[in-house]
Amino acid sequence: MCFVRARGNGCWIIVVVEPRTRPDLSALDDRILAGRAADGDIPAFEVLVRRYGRLMRVYARRVLGSNADVDDVVQDAFIQAWQHLPSLEDLGSVKSWLMKIVARKGIDRLRARREHDDIDDHERPSPEAQSPHAVAEADSLEHALSIALAALPVEQARCWVLREIGGYSYLDIGRELDLPSSTVRGIIARARRNLIREMEGWR
Amino acid sequence: MSDTLPGIEPDDLDGHTIEELSDYLDAGRSPADASIDASPGCQIALAALARLRSLSGAVLDAGASSEPAPDESWISGIVQNIGREARAGRSIPLSHPSPAASLALTEGSVRGLIRAAGEEAGGLVVGRCTLEGDVTTPGAPVAIQVEVSAYGDESIASAATRLRTAILGALQRHTELVVTAIDITVQDIHPAPSAGSEGAS
Repeated sequence: MCFVRARGNGCWIIVVVEPRTRPDLSALDDRILAGRAADGDIPAFEVLVRRYGRLMRVYARRVLGSNADVDDVVQDAFIQAWQHLPSLEDLGSVKSWLMKIVARKGIDRLRARREHDDIDDHERPSPEAQSPHAVAEADSLEHALSIALAALPVEQARCWVLREIGGYSYLDIGRELDLPSSTVRGIIARARRNLIREMEGWR
Repeated sequence: MSDTLPGIEPDDLDGHTIEELSDYLDAGRSPADASIDASPGCQIALAALARLRSLSGAVLDAGASSEPAPDESWISGIVQNIGREARAGRSIPLSHPSPAASLALTEGSVRGLIRAAGEEAGGLVVGRCTLEGDVTTPGAPVAIQVEVSAYGDESIASAATRLRTAILGALQRHTELVVTAIDITVQDIHPAPSAGSEGAS
């Protein structure tokens, strides 16, 4: 896309020129795509949305504890990412940067729920992966763990992903979720113990 | 599934807790704690915790692989939102015969021209471009830096020469920039483009 600004007698004329051919962007690596997107190339950004949208949904669902708001949170994360991409120093790390943004957006959403005092409406565990056989039937160890994670109590799964995926400290998690860090430490220990126990079913 | 599992139940941990063992693992089992290292129960729990940790990085990817593809209307919602703010950047003046008119290109449009030149040249796909120099002052020297990804069997050097010529030609045709250098950095070499769209990667 190409914008030309022309001003005559106080009027701006904007001309949009589309290139005649487009490369297949989906084969490109993250750094080149992020560079194009940082420079304003929307199709390149769309490839990143397709590449990481599902991963970010899974992460957001674990942080939020349910499907509610997942679409909105991931959408907000991508919109914020677009705004801040030009200042991302290491364009090759766009994936982990997107993951950080979506965790942040998820936590913000939890805080907003808490302020509206409707947290109980959202904290019911999702009906997914409740079957005791699901873990045993998974096709890989990673998939088995993913199912076991989905079956954990919401707070355990949330704290565990923030620790293990987000790299948050117990203190950071406690601060974000308004919990003492000793409580967070206990919750994560229970999550680990439960996950290890669930994983035994996969063997 | 049993309710108890040897090795991770409190009674098996010789007075230690899963919290302590997790912290011990986090600290790289250093400084060494003889009462943990000598406890078979703790060793079983540590092995299980380490195994869990080694898998944790891939757990979301595993979940994503069974996640349905994003809804097209959800994607277009994002695209519409971001499309409202184009990245204009600095204004690059163009001379105009009428003194009453002032004409300028946006920096974003020049980057678009450079990407389009890359599309025409082939062999390389343009990533980030940087215009170094005071582009807002007519006649000021400007150096262009371009990151690219290479594809196909062709030598990178000949594709880069073609890209440099295409960029220079486009900038001479559409702008009045005084280009002193075009630096091309190859960041990546990727498979030749195919008709396929983004797969389930």
